[in-house]
This record gives sequence, C-alpha cells and structure tokens, in this order.
Amino acid sequence: MGVYKSEPLKSWAKAKELRLKYYKDYREAHKKGGIRWTGGAWAFDAIPAGLGRDVYNITGEPYGASLAFDKPLSQECMEAAEAKGWARDLCSYMRNYWGSMYLNKYAFGGEYPTPDFCYQDHICCSHGKWYQHVAEYKKIPYFCIDVSVGPYKDLDEDRLMFVVNQMHEAIEWLEKVTGRKYQDDLLIEAVENEFRSTSTWAEICLLNMARPAPLDEKTMYSLYVHGTLAKHSKEVADFYEELRDEVQYRVENNIAALPNERCRLMSDTQPPWGFLKVFRYLEQYGALSVGSLYTFGLIGIWETKPDGTWGPRTTPMQKGEKITTRDQALRLLADWNLSKPEWQHFYDPDLKTEMMLQIVKQWQLDGVLLHLNRGCEGLSCGIMENRLGIAEAGVPVMTFEGNMGDEREFDEKSVMSRIDSFMERLDLKMLESKARA
Amino acid sequence: MITAGIDMGAKNIKTVILRDGKMIGKSMIPTGFDQAESARKGLEAALKAAGIELSAIGHITATGAGRKSAPHAHSDITEVGADAKGAIFRVDSARTVIDVGAEEGRGIKIDSNGKVLDFAVNEKCAAGAGSFAESMSRALEVTLAEFGEMSLKSDKHIPMNAQCTVFAESEVVSLLHAQTPKEDIARAVCDAIASRIAAMARRVGIEKNVALIGGVAHNAGFVTSLKRALDCDLIIPEEPEYMGALGAAVVAGERIDNGGK
Amino acid sequence: MFEQFFEWYEKRHDYAQGWMKKTGGEVVGCFCSYAPEEIIYAAGHLPVRMLGSHEPQDVTEAHIFGMFCPFCRDVLAQGLKGRYHYMKGIMIAQSCLHIRQSFTSWKKHVPVDFAYYLYMPNKVQTEHSRPYLKSEFEKFKTALEEWTGKEITEEALRESAELHNENRRLMHEVYELRKGPNPAITGLEAMVMVASSFFVDKKDHNAELKRILPQLKDRQLDRETGARLMIVGSEDDDTDFVRMVESVGATIVVDEHCTGTRYFWNLTQFDGDIMQDLANRYIDRPPCPTKDWEERRRFPHILQLARDYNVDGVILIQQKFCDPHECDIPPLKEYLNANGFPTLFLEFDVTVPLGPMRIRVEAFLEMVGEEELF
Repeated sequence: MGVYKSEPLKSWAKAKELRLKYYKDYREAHKKGGIRWTGGAWAFDAIPAGLGRDVYNITGEPYGASLAFDKPLSQECMEAAEAKGWARDLCSYMRNYWGSMYLNKYAFGGEYPTPDFCYQDHICCSHGKWYQHVAEYKKIPYFCIDVSVGPYKDLDEDRLMFVVNQMHEAIEWLEKVTGRKYQDDLLIEAVENEFRSTSTWAEICLLNMARPAPLDEKTMYSLYVHGTLAKHSKEVADFYEELRDEVQYRVENNIAALPNERCRLMSDTQPPWGFLKVFRYLEQYGALSVGSLYTFGLIGIWETKPDGTWGPRTTPMQKGEKITTRDQALRLLADWNLSKPEWQHFYDPDLKTEMMLQIVKQWQLDGVLLHLNRGCEGLSCGIMENRLGIAEAGVPVMTFEGNMGDEREFDEKSVMSRIDSFMERLDLKMLESKARA
Repeated sequence: MITAGIDMGAKNIKTVILRDGKMIGKSMIPTGFDQAESARKGLEAALKAAGIELSAIGHITATGAGRKSAPHAHSDITEVGADAKGAIFRVDSARTVIDVGAEEGRGIKIDSNGKVLDFAVNEKCAAGAGSFAESMSRALEVTLAEFGEMSLKSDKHIPMNAQCTVFAESEVVSLLHAQTPKEDIARAVCDAIASRIAAMARRVGIEKNVALIGGVAHNAGFVTSLKRALDCDLIIPEEPEYMGALGAAVVAGERIDNGGK
Repeated sequence: MFEQFFEWYEKRHDYAQGWMKKTGGEVVGCFCSYAPEEIIYAAGHLPVRMLGSHEPQDVTEAHIFGMFCPFCRDVLAQGLKGRYHYMKGIMIAQSCLHIRQSFTSWKKHVPVDFAYYLYMPNKVQTEHSRPYLKSEFEKFKTALEEWTGKEITEEALRESAELHNENRRLMHEVYELRKGPNPAITGLEAMVMVASSFFVDKKDHNAELKRILPQLKDRQLDRETGARLMIVGSEDDDTDFVRMVESVGATIVVDEHCTGTRYFWNLTQFDGDIMQDLANRYIDRPPCPTKDWEERRRFPHILQLARDYNVDGVILIQQKFCDPHECDIPPLKEYLNANGFPTLFLEFDVTVPLGPMRIRVEAFLEMVGEEELF
C-alpha cells in the first residue's frame, strides 16, 4: 500500500565505514605513536585535537550503545559490573563500558584498548564519576570540565568564563600529561569543523519537516552517531555536508523514508538500543518518528530564527568571524556547546517542553512517544513534567518504560500493547492484516 | 443486531453477548494453557446462556492480552479502548476510568463518547495489583474475599511502603512478627495497593465521575481504600469484571455500522 | 535533655510559622545542603532545609519518574500536600539531579513568590570555582534583595556568617563528647540535634546547645555503648532506624552523611571579602559525591573520622536509586575494608522494614564483635 516512493540511503555505506574506521583507529592508535583518550560524547573533543593529527578517542555513550546492540556481550558486561557491586539502576552505558573494561573485551574485536588518559565534561551526576573510576582502575590521568553553569538563556560572562578557564586549564594539563606542545592552529581547525558538523546536522534534521519525511528516526540514529564520536573532525563535517545534500535531493524528489507515511511522531530520550524493532512496529501502522529533541539536539546546535522557527545555529564562519587565538576559539566553543538543546532541561523541564512543542508544531507531528529511560537519569530528568506539559497543550502523548542499555529492563509485549492503544487513540489501524477481515 | 465481545485476559476469559444494547449472555472461564480452546469454550457457554447460535452474531471483537488468538473474532481492540467503551456504556457520566486487573492497572481519561483522550498504565515500580493482594491473602491465610472484608474492620492506618512490592512484602512480614492484628495488616495492604493505583491515575488527571472496573472492584476493602486515596467517590458498574468484554461487544456494534472495519 | 531538639524536629511547621509571626521574615525552603543559608539569614529570612515526612505517598508519580530517589519524591509530596502553605520562597544550590526535580516541580505546582536556582559548581576541585561561586552568590544576594526590597549589608552578612559558624562550633563540641569510650550522647540524639538545626533560627539552636553542653560533660547514660558504629551515606534522617540500631547493642558515635556532619563540618574562614569567604566555605566543605572528582577527597575524610571516633564498623546507607552514592559505595567499601573497618550496606526508602534490617544489623554486630576478639 505504498503512497510515496522510497529509496535506500546512498550515504548509508559511508556512514557505516566511517564509524567502523573510528573504532579501528582508536585500537590501532599506539602503533604509530598516536594518542588515545576516552571520555564522554560531550567532552570538548576539539580540545585534545590540538595535540596533533594522531589523536583518537572513544566516547563512552556511543560505545555503551554499541555494546548494548550485542546482547550476549552486554549481558556479560552488566554481570561483570554487578559482580563488582555496582547498582543496577546506574547509567546503563556506564555499566556496559565498565564491564567491557573489566572483561578486557573491546566491542569491535580484541582487548579493551587502554586509553592514555581520561578527559570528560560533567553535567549529569554520573559524568564526573564514570571516568574517575576508569582512571583509578586503569591508573591513568584524568581531567574533567564542569559545564553545569545554567541554561543558555541565562549565560553571562562569569558563567562562560568558568567554563573557558577550565578549558585553558585542560590544555595545560594535556601538555603536561602527554609531553606534547599544544598547537593552536589545530584547535582552531577542530573548532571550526565542529561548528560545521553540528550545524549541518541541524540542517539535516530541519529537512525532515518535509512531507513525506526523507529520513526516519531509526535511520537517523546511525547517522547522528558520528557527531557523538568525532564532531571536531573534518571527516564528520564533510560527511554531514554530503549527507545533507543527499537528503535535500530526497526532499526535492519526494523520496520517503516510509512509503506509507500517514502518521508523524517524535520520540524522546535514547531509544532502547536492544529493541529498535519498536520503530518497525510503528511502521506497520504507517507511523514513523521523524526525530526527537534527543536526535536533533544531542549534538545538533540550533537557534530560534527571527521568524520564530527553529533552525541550525549560524556558525561564526557564516557570520564572517575569523578565529585567530586560542582564547577566542575556546570562548566560541564553550558558547556554542552551552546552547546545546540537550543541555537546557537539566535546569528546568519547561525549557525542554517548549522545545518539544516547537518541534511538534514545526515538523507537523501527530503525537509524542516518551521513552521513560531507566538507564539515563540525565535525559529522564524532568520527563514527567514534560509529559504533563505536552498533554496540557493537547498533543497526544504516550510513555513506555525501558532502558537504553540494559535489555533486561524492557518488556517488549507490554510496550507493543501500549503502542496499539496509542495508535487506536490516534484512530489508526495496522496496515498489514494482522487483524481480521 | 447481536454482537459479542471476548476479553482474553491473562487469568480469565470473559465473553459477553449484546443484543440491542442488552447483555443476553455471558461467561467467564479460566484462560488456562490453551487460550484459544478456552475462548471457544467461553463463547459456547455464553451462546448457550443467550439461547442463540454462533451464526446469529453479526460481529465479534476481541480484547485483552491474548486478543490476537481469539478464534471466531472478526476484529480486535486494545484493553484501553475496550475499557473506555465498556465504562461509558454503563456509566455515561464517567470521565476517568480505572481498571485494576490481576497484573496491570490502567488509568484512562475519556470524553462523553468514550473516546480515549489519555491513558496511563502502571510502570515497573509499584507493579502488580490483584496478584499482590492474592499473595498477601495467602500470607494471612485467608481467601481473597475474606481479605477485603477484614480490611474494612480496621480503623488503623499503618503506613506501608507503597512504592516497591518487595519492600511492602518485608513490611508485612515484620507486622506479622510484631503480632499486629490481621485486620490492620489487611487494611494496610489494601491502602498500599490503592495508593499505587491512585498515583498512576493522577498521571492522567482525576476528572469526575470516576468509574472503577475490573475484578478487583468486588473487593470492598480495596474499594474503600481507593476512595480514600483519591478522596472522591467511585462509580462501580454491575459486573465490573465484564466491562472489557462489554466494551469490545459495543465496539463490535460500531464496526458493523461502519461496514465491518 | 534533648527534648527541645526533638520538638523542633517534629514540629517544624509550628516553629516556622511562629518565627514568621515573631520576626516578620519569610521562610525560604532550601533544596540541598549546599544552599548558602548565611545569605538568606542576612536578608532577614529563615532558611529551612527541605526534608520529607517518611510517609508513603501517591501524589508525585505524575511529576517525578519513579526511578528517582524516594527522598526527593517525599520532599515534593510535602509541597503538593500543602504542608508548607506558609512558605513563600524556595531555592536550590544545584548538586544532584534527583532533588532538583523536587525544586522545579515545586516551583511549577506549589504557589511561591520567590524561586531561585543557584548554579553551584560541581568541580569544586578547580580554583576557578571560587571566583565563580562568589559571582553566583552575588547574583543570589541581588535576587533576595529585590524580593525583600531591602539591601543586605556586609555587616549583616558577617554577623550571619559568625552566627552560623558558632552553631557549627557548638555542634562540634557536642560531637567531641562522642569520641570517648562511653559517649554521653546517643546517635539518635545527635541526629535529631543536627536535623533540628535545619529548621530553626541558629540563635535559638545555639542558645539550646549552650544550655546543655555543660550538663553533657557530666552526663552518664544508663546504657551499654556496645559496638561503636559510624553511618555513612546519602540523605538520612531515619530516626526509627537509628533507634533500632541503638537497641541491639550498638551506639552510633559519628556519621558522614547529608543530614549529618557534611552539613556543618567546616566553618567559614574570614579573609577580608565576606562573599568570597562564604563561597570558599561551600567549595571546601566535605563534598557530596557529585562534587567529589577528579580526586577522591571524601574517602580520606571518612577514614579520618572513623579513626578519630574509634569506630568498630561502618554502616553504608544509600537512598534507593541514589546515583551519586551508588557511584561511590563500591570503592568506598573496598577502601574502608582495606583500612580495617568492616562495612554493612543497607538500601533505604522513606520507610524501612525494621524487621529484616534488624537481622542484618545484628549479624553485622556479631561479625564486628568477632573481629574484636582478634
């Protein structure tokens, strides 16, 4: 019962290749005297890039998600973490990661490649503690930048300087720990790449306003991930521009992600990585998720345009700003990241509800699916108030409990049943005949 | 016009036959291991009670956890949808519906036509309702019915942790060892379950009138506790455990009108 | 001897409303022990720490997801149930994600005139946090002045800081008396003494402490001390639990938790710039786990306390779902055990099953007792 034409994404192969290369490079880093570090996806990865062109990292959250895909390995990791006494309700990415470290198993083959140092940012309670443990276990140095200075709308010089001062400190620390001389020109390059990659990602998400949507969220997960691995790299920035061009092409030619798209939804928080079939299930109703604040704003950087709509944040380069000094680069980098949509709700759930309702309006959505993610206290912070706010605004919303990284906490049958009830509420019947007559 | 609704519950299969808005036959059979077979038996029994043949039925809609396995059914509807339709059919002033089953509790916000506006289902924490009451009644060595009656005899409010079933069970053990009267324990358990259900229902907002359906509505002790927890009155339709099946039968009628969809 | 503290602890709302009538000031609820109470007090208001009531409730599920700690939900329930109807101001100095949801939901659903979120740094281990926190305190002071319509003078700040220091000094004096072989104070009394200080004017609390201290020095308790225990953990004002532990052959002689010594342990050092001095006090205080990185500074502090108070065993108390403490407890357990201190881990909810807990505590005491023999 196709209504729109569909085509596989040409950039798919490149996306996969880039991701596997990233994990391979990290493992092989030492072979040519390179550096490897580990930290969160939000750690300002542009900064260590100033140490040289042979600096590789793995970011904990995507790595934790990669482990979650491999159900048997994840189970081993979880059990290893629990054997050490860690509680089951801790961040499931972190437990997967620690498990991998204890078992000395790398999700991409071989042993867990010990990093040279840990370098992180802190906004949720677990962030600073995650790598504290990695550092003490592996006996390696550790530096973490505190970014919890409040929402972007309240940013002032004192708050910005607290972050920037720590960034300067980080550079001195990196020099000391690696023995290398820091190169400001590499920092500036990395920072500009990051502006480019994160604003281009937002452009791609914006294109999903089209009807039919050129991308579905399940596909987008395999594409936004690069921004969580190495948003500071030229490769990712270039890839996103290529991808944007392809998505633009799809929009111009009405190529849909879901041929029988008749219901547009958005989700929230990380998906249950072991059960992405939830999205396939929705497709049986002709429903797709076109994105979420999470997919749009985890790495995408946005701003409100003069006409009140949401769009990619204008980069300093687009404004004609030339970055010439270290301090200038760090200030711009800090400011840029502090405006990240996924950093706002930590201070007030209403800020997130507003953004979510903006997405519902602008992307013309019929409903919202909230994943009450027991594996992430950070992104689930305030989520019940988000639910109330969305319901009060008259937007159909449903919740389901799950865990992004611990598949033991996902009740597949119960979730599918709720989706059925929600679809009924939206007056949608399944397209395939699983029903009778 | 004759329709039928089959509620393929986890524990029991309920079947209702409706003619022109009146229930002319019903049955309740344990689900057992072979739910399709039990459903067949249930339908047979209901047909017998109604004094009609299967061919007389215009449309059969199934609901419940096992709805996709219901033999003879022409269509299906979720429990949430069925509960809403069943409740509004019997209680036309209902705007909030609370269904407490063996394993799941639901809170549903509806409009005057029984359309679902919002719904909530009990989450992992504070899960289980009917089954918890059952295991507690076993611990107190009484039947479930006696358990409810006993709780009414108590005027004490012993706070029990309503958040976690496992913690609550430990608390009951402590109370038993401290020689607390069984009536007081029964009431504490009813209050705890009621508290969980109230917390869940509050997620969709409590708008009057509130209808309570599902088998647990027969438990007078639980009903009293729930009224207290919600601080409002509850309307319990007759045969509350059949409301899901009834709702499905009502929907079956709507589907005949719409050409069998 | 501790009746006044018990009364303040149990009748906190009566005290608060009485204080408001007497002074004309407002009550400001503080959601976290990092709140700069000195500034609030200097503004003429009473800072009160938000605690729960240890009752199961069913009103917060629509606001805070069930996987966050029971304590933060208990706190929000107090607001939603109207227990703090008289309280017009609230503030939070951020630390963990759990309690901050109590604040944001309270702000949204409970009528208040003043709600302030102070962006307290988490990286207290960087020197940059000092000027930063000073600037945040300045902003808070300005906001308070706008609400009150009155300037907060430097003198008022200094006096307030002195008063709070005095309270801390006096409580230290009481704690000192627990170091000896037969402490004259039970853990229950000490817990209520500290917890009551959250709810009352430090002037009143100081007066009461000064009154009992001379008597305490000569006090003999008609009970066996038994095993000397320390409780370490997250938020804990569970008096029923403490009472139970002290009834089975033990005495709690010291603690390191959120509603205990972490609250009052360090004093403000005066160095010429009152706002910076206050900021330094909060930067340097015994840290909550969310603020204890990259280095572990909390662990040596706990070990020192255990040694100073000659502790036989440590009970690790953790609010269910408390991520910050869950991140510390396994290494802390190892650390304490390696340094010769046996540990017992217990998970808490707002109500606790005393029966099963008693069994665990008694077994622990047996184990601790056996170690004594060697």
